[in-house]
Amino acid sequence: MIIPGRPNCRSLEIASRRYRDRGQWLPRPLSGLEQKSASMSMRGQLFNRLAFGVVTLMSLAVLFSSAELSVADDSPCPGTGCSAAVVSWFAGEVWPKVAALECVKCHKTGGDAEASRLVLQDLSRASETDRDKLLQQNRDAFVRLARLQSDKADGRPLLLIKVAGGLDHGGKQVLKPDSTGYRILAEFVRRVSEPQTVPSHQPIADPDEPPFFDGVVMLDDRRLLRRATLSLAGRLPTDAELAAVTRGGLPTVSEILDDVLTEEAFLDRLREGFNDIFLTLGIDGNADATVLSYEHFEKTRLWYQKYDLSHIADEKERRQAGYKLAREYREALLGEPLKLIEHIVRNDRPFTEIVTADYIMVSPYTARGYGIFDEVKDQFARSDDPFEYVPVRLKALKGRNSKEDQESATGFYPHAGLLSTFQYLSRYPTTETNRNRLRARMYYQHFLGVDVLELAARVSDAAAVTAKFKIPTMQASECVVCHRTLDPVAGLFQDYFRFDTNFAIYGRRKDGWFTDMFNAGFEGEDLPAEERWRALQWLGERTTKDPRFAATMVGHAYYLLTGRRPLLPPKDLDDPLFAAKHRAYQEQQRQIQAIASHFAETGFNFKTAIKDWVLSDFYRADGLATVASTPERRAELDDIGIVRLLSPEQLERKVAAVFEQRWGRLTEQTAMLYGGIDSKEVTERATDPSGAMGAIQRTLANDVACRNVALDFSRPPERRILFPAIEPDVLPGASPESDARIRQTIVRLHERVLGRHDDVQSPEVNRTFELFAGVVADAQARGRFEQQEIWSCRQGLEAPVSDPHYTVRAWRAVLTYLLRQHEFLYE
Amino acid sequence: MRRDFLKWCACAGLGLAAPLRGREAARADEQELPPYDGPFYLVFNAAGGWDTTYLMDPKGVGGINRLYEEGDILTHGHHRFAPTAKHKDGGLSNEDFYSEFGDELLVLNGLDYSVNNHSPGARYMATGKLDSLAYPTFAALVAACQGPACPLSFLTFGNYSATGNLVAMSRVPYLPSLKRIANADSIEGNERSPYHDDFALARIEQALREQREDHSTQPLLPRKERAENMLYAAQVNSKALQRVTPHIPKDIPKQRLAQQAEIALASFKAGVCVSANLTIGQFDSHANNDRDQMKLIPELLEGIAYVLHRAEELQIREKLVVIAQSEMGRTPDYNKGDGKDHWSIGSIMFLGPGIKGNRVIGATDEKQFAVPFNPQTLASDTEHGIRIRPEHLHEALRQFAGIGEHSHSRSFPLGIKAEEQLQGLWG
Repeated sequence: MIIPGRPNCRSLEIASRRYRDRGQWLPRPLSGLEQKSASMSMRGQLFNRLAFGVVTLMSLAVLFSSAELSVADDSPCPGTGCSAAVVSWFAGEVWPKVAALECVKCHKTGGDAEASRLVLQDLSRASETDRDKLLQQNRDAFVRLARLQSDKADGRPLLLIKVAGGLDHGGKQVLKPDSTGYRILAEFVRRVSEPQTVPSHQPIADPDEPPFFDGVVMLDDRRLLRRATLSLAGRLPTDAELAAVTRGGLPTVSEILDDVLTEEAFLDRLREGFNDIFLTLGIDGNADATVLSYEHFEKTRLWYQKYDLSHIADEKERRQAGYKLAREYREALLGEPLKLIEHIVRNDRPFTEIVTADYIMVSPYTARGYGIFDEVKDQFARSDDPFEYVPVRLKALKGRNSKEDQESATGFYPHAGLLSTFQYLSRYPTTETNRNRLRARMYYQHFLGVDVLELAARVSDAAAVTAKFKIPTMQASECVVCHRTLDPVAGLFQDYFRFDTNFAIYGRRKDGWFTDMFNAGFEGEDLPAEERWRALQWLGERTTKDPRFAATMVGHAYYLLTGRRPLLPPKDLDDPLFAAKHRAYQEQQRQIQAIASHFAETGFNFKTAIKDWVLSDFYRADGLATVASTPERRAELDDIGIVRLLSPEQLERKVAAVFEQRWGRLTEQTAMLYGGIDSKEVTERATDPSGAMGAIQRTLANDVACRNVALDFSRPPERRILFPAIEPDVLPGASPESDARIRQTIVRLHERVLGRHDDVQSPEVNRTFELFAGVVADAQARGRFEQQEIWSCRQGLEAPVSDPHYTVRAWRAVLTYLLRQHEFLYE
Repeated sequence: MRRDFLKWCACAGLGLAAPLRGREAARADEQELPPYDGPFYLVFNAAGGWDTTYLMDPKGVGGINRLYEEGDILTHGHHRFAPTAKHKDGGLSNEDFYSEFGDELLVLNGLDYSVNNHSPGARYMATGKLDSLAYPTFAALVAACQGPACPLSFLTFGNYSATGNLVAMSRVPYLPSLKRIANADSIEGNERSPYHDDFALARIEQALREQREDHSTQPLLPRKERAENMLYAAQVNSKALQRVTPHIPKDIPKQRLAQQAEIALASFKAGVCVSANLTIGQFDSHANNDRDQMKLIPELLEGIAYVLHRAEELQIREKLVVIAQSEMGRTPDYNKGDGKDHWSIGSIMFLGPGIKGNRVIGATDEKQFAVPFNPQTLASDTEHGIRIRPEHLHEALRQFAGIGEHSHSRSFPLGIKAEEQLQGLWG
């Protein structure tokens, strides 16, 4: 039954999802009762334990039968009953601003408060289809708790006492009584217990709220294709592709992407992007020593030192060949984890293999290091190619001493994708005191998208807690909240407990795994003893079933395309822009979940995630139809648009794509100066240009223009890239025809360099024309100038190019101008 | 005109990351901005967690220190410090450091880092905010407020370096790199070999300026608007890097902190930089604490001394504010590997113009727990005092730098109540 004049439950659910606080009904100041409640909670220790047991079934029965609270037979709160005001307040306020940020950390299955009366569903681990249902369950749990009062605390709401640290709340004080979060909960309690005081006309949502992307201008399909091919394959779209997209629109972009995602250049980009995430190229020392340990590869890891190079007669050449051999071997070893990712994607294998693959990738060189070359050499097409990789299963490790042999029920090394590679284990080593917690932390960050240290809980006196408890990580609630999650996973890495990776990576702790840590396991499930030898495989299997895995991989795809990680939920409830920021976060999350669902449906094919992002509004957003006039709207759109400063590697590729030759100077120190990473100390790319980077941009623009303008004129017109339809003797102002040819050339340059499709009379073309004409005029006005390009800019020409009218240099000025622009330097 | 434009940016608290509307963005002409003239801020980070009981908060009791007893503790003025001359492995001893700089040095002991982990600790100490990834470090904030147009306004050599999108972060890892970028419009940096004739270059700049003006009147996505402004500013302001080259030393020092310092000092001297994060790592002495700390603390002090001496030579010493900090301390007891684990109580040091030296604020007790103190009197007050956390220091630092009320600071509030603000910290 649906009561006329009141929203039905389904509409409430939908509305509550769209609810946004417009600021017109902020929680009122605390009532006298609530203030008293908060104050009393400070003294909660006096009433602790006693109060816990005093909530009577009688009061529950009375409250549950409250007729006023029932809205309909299909109530969204079955068994408890709740009003529209409760539903919307919970969905819009309590859950995102309090419960999801604080309560669910402990109040969930496997959490520190799993035995309490408030056990919530962690929506971050829920599938998209279950989300609404679980949100409703959480709401019901809160409603039940909101109705409980403590006799020992003068009948004050239990929920408010607990959250303020009273009645021996295990999580101590979560919210201060004067905080916004507390007021949100107080308002929730009021709505539950005093529904008659909630004005019926309060809005539960803004029905007129425009769609999130309202007013956002999307890239046209041709520019979208250019953005995608440059980003993913480091090339411009071909004329045929552009023509096809012009005819077929967005579906054709999708079809072309299918091919782009098979190109070698995409696979290079894939490896580069995933190194930004996993940083496995940043292993310390020489890889032949720190990846392949002395304990298990003593006799094979330095094979190159004995490799027969006697066929090289010249000693110096032979020495150089030896250096090359070692260098390429080390490079090949470092590249293995990223080649695993490439192999999975190239062959459309399920991306879950990133944590479940029962193999590693080896090359002819690295196979020698593992001591398996003779076994696998027939699999290589070119057994002397250091960088041809094939999948291989290693046998269980053999130590120099049998005590260091690896236990294995199958006789094979228990590969678990990246997790068990020596590179990953070496990049994130353990220490005696760290006990594999770094590895566990990185596992959560890399594969489940959880940064356990991101928002560390403040401890009132961390030093005192450390001193008070014998095992703080298992006994102090402040520590347990993270360690209950982290330490079991650390325990899964327990067979990799050596501290000098040069000597060994695999190796069990002599005295058995630590007993002053939570048992090895994952999210509340203990590792069975018989699975210990393959603990990381056990972890990998569970990882892929966790909904956070798919969402995290989709987040990695987003990072690959945009250079930034998905938004974090806003935390500052008192921020006047909280609602706007929260909406931006929600919209992005919705997109991530949608792509993650599709990703899972397609058997975790990573290419689908890339494609879905490219075709999404988030990737296509490019401009605004009108100015975002309010701070709220600006906050909503703050992260919209790719607008990514190209990395040194990307910029080099773009130069190569546009000019068919790299600049070649964005390497090593200059690359670092231009915001690059070394995967060791510097692991985050610069996102905004500093003055130093601005200087490099100027140099690049000057130098690339210098190298390419005269060179292009020196070629026959049919082979020119930049100036196929004009010669240096075409002067501005000489005739309407000459001006038209200059303008058409500018249009071509705009398209090739900037990806713009300008009209010949557009303001942008006018400006470039003025630049060209102005430089020529200035030169003419000066009267005397060299009749050819400057020396540096006429090197390597295919034929001499004279410049009697200064037009070649004027075109160089034009190109310099274009190369300094946002549209070239950003994606 | 350009000067006005940049001044307007700074006064309006917009930096160059903020949206520019109308014609302001395009008013910049080629006139070079005057050099930023100080104060300059250098933040030394002892990354990994220093053992303060071997520096400014000596104990020598309860097995806290194996290298000295309580009776061995030395003093200089109001400072008490651990003796390290006999134990150090290279670098500068505490004895020499305090002897030379103790009169200028302000130490705060009993700082409550609140957490025991590197990552949040580093973030908290750098920004004053524990539970946000959005806040800028102090060094970035002060750079954004005081020198947004400087081409290397905020330099960093590591550690937590978030900028809050207020200012670009500059990484210049090698001294020779500065030379390479100093004359971007000349071939191989040779001023006598410009790529373009002056009139052509002027035309290019003019076209870019006009384009910027046009774009600033169009509706743009906030990200794009911000990026275009930062890009334009980065390219225009990069010209000022020419001023750096005269201050780059011929010989590159060997010490890692000194290398970083030379880059920062040359940039300060040239007026192109406001602040810099300097870092040395490996303080995380879970094994062999004393051996590691006796190598690293003297190295840190040597680095600070190097900076101060070179700043003297460059005649910017009187404008240089130095902060030395770490993201955590070390436990009062040794573990089985002779190491010390993470401890959430520590110290911080300040030195520079406007900071009254020869003072020690705050304390820890004999077990290395923080002793609360009165923020008004700065005296220990175990009953009514407060625990001093990074946000208290950052609030004080903002006030000290004169940016407490700047719109950038207001965008990243620290939430310190008036009665908890440290009064007279700087003397």
